Order: sequence, then structure tokens, then C-alpha cells
Amino acid sequence: MNRLSRGFSAICLAAFVLLAVTGPGLFGLPDGEQAPPYSVPGWMDRKIARTILLSSDSGALSWNYKPPRRVSVTGELNYGSINWSTPERTFVLTDSPGEVDLDARDVPFKRALGMDPFADLPKALFPSGGEYRLWIDGEGEAVMKIEGGRWGLLGTDHRGRDVAALFVRGIRVSLIIGFSATLIAAVLGVSLGLLSGYAGGLTDSLIMRAVDVLLSIPTLPVLMVLAGVWGKGLWNLVIVLSIFSWMGTARTVRAMTLSLRDAPWVEGLRALGAKRGYIIFRHLLPEVLPLLLANVALGVPGTILAEAGMSFLGLSDPRLPSWGRMLHEAHTYGAFTSGAWWTILPPGIGIAVICLIFMDLGRKLEERADPRLVAKVGAEALKEAAE
Amino acid sequence: MKAFLKRAGSSVVVLAVVLALNFFLFRIMPGDPLLAIADPRFSPEAKARLAVQWGLDRPLPEQFAVYVKEMLSFRFGLSMMTSAPVWDELKNRLPNTVALLLPALILSTALGLWGGMTAALKRGSIVERIVLTCGAVSFSFPSFFVQILLLMCFAYAFPLFPLSGSASIPPPEGIKSVFDYLWHLALPVFSLTILGFGGFALYIRNMMVKALGEDYVLMARARGLPRGRVVWNHAFRGILPPVLTIILMSLPGVVSGAVITETVFSMNGVGRFLLEATNSHDYPAAGAAFFLLALLTVGCNILTDICYVLADPRVRREGAHE
Repeated sequence: MNRLSRGFSAICLAAFVLLAVTGPGLFGLPDGEQAPPYSVPGWMDRKIARTILLSSDSGALSWNYKPPRRVSVTGELNYGSINWSTPERTFVLTDSPGEVDLDARDVPFKRALGMDPFADLPKALFPSGGEYRLWIDGEGEAVMKIEGGRWGLLGTDHRGRDVAALFVRGIRVSLIIGFSATLIAAVLGVSLGLLSGYAGGLTDSLIMRAVDVLLSIPTLPVLMVLAGVWGKGLWNLVIVLSIFSWMGTARTVRAMTLSLRDAPWVEGLRALGAKRGYIIFRHLLPEVLPLLLANVALGVPGTILAEAGMSFLGLSDPRLPSWGRMLHEAHTYGAFTSGAWWTILPPGIGIAVICLIFMDLGRKLEERADPRLVAKVGAEALKEAAE
Repeated sequence: MKAFLKRAGSSVVVLAVVLALNFFLFRIMPGDPLLAIADPRFSPEAKARLAVQWGLDRPLPEQFAVYVKEMLSFRFGLSMMTSAPVWDELKNRLPNTVALLLPALILSTALGLWGGMTAALKRGSIVERIVLTCGAVSFSFPSFFVQILLLMCFAYAFPLFPLSGSASIPPPEGIKSVFDYLWHLALPVFSLTILGFGGFALYIRNMMVKALGEDYVLMARARGLPRGRVVWNHAFRGILPPVLTIILMSLPGVVSGAVITETVFSMNGVGRFLLEATNSHDYPAAGAAFFLLALLTVGCNILTDICYVLADPRVRREGAHE
């Protein structure tokens, strides 16, 4: 059981990475506007129609829902007319040959059908339940897109984009930013921490003072101002985030280096005439590396959350779908006054799950890097059992 | 006293760095800083006049000196968007931010203290489970997501609290306006308390569990001291300085959280002002709001430092030896 849970977070992470890399290509996720804004998820309310494509070749459509939100017809007509039969009457949608592109919102289309410009055309085209048919009297082909209020796995957002597709695309941004910003921060932190711990003196106090100062400046306002000044691109964000998240690593590495610097075996190396660079890179760095790995894993949630926060404030590239951006748009365009929980829950839970995965991984790496941690916990448990 | 001065000195350094950052951030943009305020189609004479107006014609060190003097005397200049003094707008918004952050900080500290201590003293109890869950939530859930969920539950599904804003429209008269204000403040403060409480309580619990296993606590218990004294005067007294440190470290995060909280709840605070100013490239306003938020952090830092010096006898007596 323990063994199973040990691998669980790693498997989850692998699944996320796989989904991020192959997802958009594999499922052929739709991009751009798909269905009316805030369509409910496909499995939710059976009384609302799905979005249907009805071609002129396919037979009758039995319809017993409310009228759809949008109706459009595309196709080509060589001669004759495109007709639409409802249980009550038959409409001649068009009889002019050539390319057909009709939308029930267009005023000329409404006029051509003999209605006033403010009429609700979808309602007129779908007056009641019953059999409907799109047929051509002549030669040509036509497809009617009947846009109901239900769509896909997770519905649509305020622009009618598929939320499930956005969700899968969003994984990529979170992972890229989380990984790369933390990696850059780790490299910065390790080098500065090693330098500060090993060199000591003025270098040490300068670096540590910088750490103190950076730790006591509210980060988000600085990031906001930087994003405002430098632009909102993905890599700008990565650089900015990594500048403000190396301090913890530097502190840890410095403390470790300090305790190692005067260890007998390092002193022995120095006595043997080893150069400073050799000691640092061949002996001290491998020593701090395992803990560093854990530190990186534990640092990723922080960066992901920071990115999400920035995107939520609207300070990210609007062309890049990310989970924070989805929440930003849901908040700005009134998702909850429309009750559209499906635009809010998936990205939020996604962020939380990714963060939990990395925290779990980090803790396991930490245990592996420093078995004393486990031993200590074990001793504590023993002590408690004795009491 | 000396220890305190040393710590206050580091706060001054922070403030200086903030000022320098604030000054140079807006001047490291590629090209002419004038481009930020002037349209490239302006005539050269108009550009020159603007440069004189904004003091951009003088050498950089002189600009910096003028800038520091203005910032420290709270003359933030005119907003580029509204041409109104920035400080007037900020003066109205600052109380809202303080009214949001201060109760949240006090509540989450008090709750965290109580929850952490209870969790450490009663291992396996329901309080411990709540503390562990809240801790995990505060480290892994985006704060704005939790707040949006709260809004969806308590303002949309069950409309107990208002959806947004700091006051009803139109604002009620007299004593009612105070209640109205508090009613609008309730959900944001509650959300910040929940979010801040978890991590703090978790930290106190872990430290306390460790402290309760120490030899000096065992010794106190062996001496037959009452349980309350062992817990508070021995174990808790021992972890007080690191607890204060953790409060100190969390302050910048709390101030950062104000920006997000004010955005989620559409409150009229300094944080949202900063966001609006950044989005509309209103640099004097953004700089002033940033400076004010940093000042808030530094002020809280100094307060915590005073507590720290009072709490840690090693630091307090450092000066007495001289």
C-alpha cells in the first residue's frame, strides 16, 4: 500500500506531462469559438440541445428541446433552393445559386424570410417539438449548424471556446513556467549559496544582505510593475519569477556549505593542496545536490502559484491559454453571475493538484536525500508510543 | 537597543532598495523614457516641454535625488491618466487596505496560535486534522481560487454577503454605513484568515511537537510543574522567537495577497489601484502605490522586530554586555 502511494504522485505527474505534450494533437482539440458562450457541459442538462451539424443529405431530425441559441447554414447551391421543413410550415432559406453562408442573426436573412429585423429567428425556425428536415430542391449541398446550449466535456467559456481544450493546453504553460523558473532560480541559488558559504567575508555578507532585502519586499507588486514595464511574454515571466525565488535555496545551500567547509575531510582536501574550484565543484556540489533536487521540487508549487496569480491579474500573454488566465477571464466576464462553474473549477483544481503532486514528490526526495529525516520522525513516533 | 537599531537599519536598507527599484524600473525601458509619456508624433518642442515638466531633462543623479525627496514627503505627483494628485486618491484607498489586512493578520495569527497549540497538545484530534488540511490548502491552492469559491458559495448560491465592492450603492447614512462597510469586509477578511491560518498553525504545531519532546520540557515536567506552565512558560517560550520570525517572513506575502484579494472582491484598495495603474501604464501612480505597499511591509517588519527583541533575551541582552 505504502509502495503504491509512493509512486502515485510520480505517475500523476507523468500523466500530466504526457497530456501536456500530446494532448492537443492527440485528441484533435478544437481551437477558437465552438459553441454559444457559457454552454453547459455535455453531460449536464438533457433538456438543452447539444450542438448539432445537420447536413442536407441526412434524413429528418427529431427535435424536442427548446429552440437553439444560434443557427447557421453553410454550403453551396448550384441551382434550385435550400428548404427547411418544420412541423408547421416550410421555409425557403435561399434560392440564389452560389456559395451559401447564412446566419440566423443576420438582418438581411431575416428580411429575406419575411420577418422583422428584431425577430428571434431560431425560435421561428424551431417552433415546437417534432420532425425537421433540411433538404435541397435542385442540386447542391448544405450543412446547418444548430448550436444548442450544451457542449463537449466541460462546456464553453465566455467566448464560446471549449473549456476542456483550454484546460489541456493550460497544463503546458504551468509546467513550463514552474519547471524553468525554478530551475533557473535553483542554479542561481546554488551558485550564490556556495559562493557565499565558501568565500565568507564581504561576499558572504553582501549576498546574505541581498537575500534579506529580497525576502522582505512584497514580490507580487514588483512582478506586476516589471510585467507592466517589460511586457507580458512567457519568458519574461520566467526570468522575473526566477529573480525573485532563488533566496530560499541560497540560504539552505549556504548553511550546508558552512557546516561542510570546516569538516575534517574538506580540511584534508585543502591540506592536500586542492584548489578552491575543485573542492567546490567536485566535493561540495555533489554533497548538496540531492537536497537541492528536493528543494527544486518543493519550489515548483510556489512558482506555479505565482504564475497563476499574475495571470489571474491579467498580467500574462493573452494569447497563451493558462489556468490562471482562464480564471482571470471567468472572473472578469462574470462567470459566476452566469453560474458557469465549469469555467472556474477545472483550472483551479488543476493548479491545486499539480502543486500537491510537486509537494509530495519534494517531500519524498527530501526523505531519500536525508534519511535522517525519516529516522527522526521514526524516533519521535517511538517516543510517543512509549509515553 | 543596539540589536534593535541593527534591525531597524536593515529595514532602512529595504526601503532604499525599494526606492531605487521604483526609480530605475521605469527608466530601464529600452529607449527614451519620454516615449512612455509622449506620443512619438508630438512635435520636438512639445516633447521638450514635457521633458522639462517631468524633470527628465536633468542628469540622472539629480533626478534621483529629487525623486527620493518627493517620495519621502509623500508628494507623488500627478497621475498620467486623470491628472489628479496621486496621493489624494491613495489617501482615500489606504484605509481600505489597512482595514482588510490588519484584522486578517490578527485573526489568522490568533487562530493559528490556538489551532497549532491545540493540534500539538492533542495529537490525532479533530483540530489537528483541520490544521493539517488547512496547511496543505494554503500551500497548494491559489488564494484567488479559494476566494472565488467562497464568493460562489456565500455570495452567489447563498447570497449572505455582497458580490463585490466596499460599500452598497447608494451608501447608507450614519451608523448604518459602518455596518455596511463591515458587511462588505467580512468575506475578504474571512478568506484571508482561512488562507493565512493554515500555514501558521501547521508551523506552530510542528515546532511545538518538537519542543515538547525536548529535554528541558521533560525536566520541567519532572519537577512537577503544572501542565499549563510547562506548555506556555517552557515549551512555548522556547519557540517564540522563531514564531515571530515566521510572522515577519509572511508579511510581504500578506501585502501581495492584498492585490489579489482586492481584485477578486473589487474593493477600493491600494492593491487594485496598483493593478489599474500598471494596466494603464500610469507610471507615477503605479510607483506611488508600490512604494506605499512596500512602506506598509517595512512598517510591519519594524513592529515585529520590536516584538522579537522583547521576546528573545539573547538579542535583548546583547547590548547590556557593552
